[in-house]
Amino acid sequence: MNEHVAGEPLVKYRNIGKRFGATEVLSDINFDIYPGEKVAMIGPSGSGKTTLARMLMTLEKPSKGTIEVGGELLWHRNVNGRLMEANASHLRKVRGQIGMVFQHFNLFPHMTILRNIMEAQVHVLGRTKQEAKEQAVKLLEKVGLADKCNAYPAQLSGGQQQRVAMARALVMKPKIMLFDEVTSALDPELVGEVLEVIREIAEEEEMAMLLITHEMAFARDIADRVVFMAEGQIIEQGPPKQIFNQPKHQRTMNFLSRFSAQSQSV
Amino acid sequence: MVSNIAIFNSLLKGLAVTLQVLGYSVILALGLSFIFGFLSLSKWKIAKIASHLYIEIFRGTSLLVQLFWLYFSLPILGIQLPAMLVGVLGLGLNYGAYGAVVVKTSIQAVPKGQFEASVALNMSPFRRMRSVILPQAFVIMLPTFSNLTIELLKGTSLVSLVTLSDLTFQAMALRSATMETVKIFTILLILYFIVAYPITLAFRWLEKKLSVGRG
Repeated sequence: MNEHVAGEPLVKYRNIGKRFGATEVLSDINFDIYPGEKVAMIGPSGSGKTTLARMLMTLEKPSKGTIEVGGELLWHRNVNGRLMEANASHLRKVRGQIGMVFQHFNLFPHMTILRNIMEAQVHVLGRTKQEAKEQAVKLLEKVGLADKCNAYPAQLSGGQQQRVAMARALVMKPKIMLFDEVTSALDPELVGEVLEVIREIAEEEEMAMLLITHEMAFARDIADRVVFMAEGQIIEQGPPKQIFNQPKHQRTMNFLSRFSAQSQSV
Repeated sequence: MVSNIAIFNSLLKGLAVTLQVLGYSVILALGLSFIFGFLSLSKWKIAKIASHLYIEIFRGTSLLVQLFWLYFSLPILGIQLPAMLVGVLGLGLNYGAYGAVVVKTSIQAVPKGQFEASVALNMSPFRRMRSVILPQAFVIMLPTFSNLTIELLKGTSLVSLVTLSDLTFQAMALRSATMETVKIFTILLILYFIVAYPITLAFRWLEKKLSVGRG
């Protein structure tokens, strides 16, 4: 598919299922992400994309199946060949390889921008304050907000807040970063600046990315692979060109045609 | 005839006792609020039940009767406590029960996204609480804590009924000695207000200080 797809997958979803009460939101998902690979995930809302990402971030527990990250089970431990539920310290250990940017930014409102980005560096990675500050400033420069160090989140626009949230996640140097519809809560005129930063990150950073998005043109541009999900299943996946130009499944065609109809009408 | 200065002096003596009871029982109530507030959010069923029992028993019975029980019933069971300790225990346990509910609901009121962001940054449970959840929950607690502290101040007048010579106790004694009912009770009202108002102001100041940067 591309130069990244070599060697062992970084993330392996195996037979993953998830139900909330009687509703099955994911059924028997098998899915890999390779080191450094940029994967875009598209599909109608309610198709299970977000749940899939949240499971990897350990925010949602799979009802069945396993997830491996960097060769280690995430939700389980292998004890003498038997799968046991992972404890909190195991989750913490494996979770360190994963970062996430949320739809609603979730910045810490009581901290300055600088402290938002420093807090976990100091208390999770054990960096010194000086070092954490340097790293934070460096990333704020990268997302174009170096002048906002001492501002509080409430004083920033949605687009700026989301850029800070990306800096906050990036500074932890995850091996894979999850972007969960990060532009969906933004005013339309602010979407561009956020996409621009993601594009930069995708071009410059080595880490893998899983990008859940409704921005089709953007997904096509930056992804190595596009995955189409519907009703809790992966319907098809492949290089962007193939998915967008020659989708194999009727469901994918319907979904994409609805989207192009929309973008034409705008 | 008791002079105005004498009246004032004995009221001040009472005020000192009231402030002492207030200070100690606020500390006790605050401690209990956080301990039982956290226990009620714990994963362990036993902790939840313990906290539930504590809250419902002390909220559901009269503070005055609790004081009477500690002061008059406990000695019959073989435990004699000094009046000051009874006052502080009674008030602290009672208001701690209300405070525990405030701590619990305030922590639950912090948006879930804040918890999720702190997990995504791989913070330890302690760090999540310390850096992210508590600072935000604390600001939510403050207005109710302010109310409770003033309620507690007013509740201290009940300790006069277990022989502690607080402000109200002194006023009652002065009243029977002088029969200057209007004067003495008016001063009494004013003195309680003089203690209560700075509490309100202090809480307001704290709230403002801690809400910095939040639109």
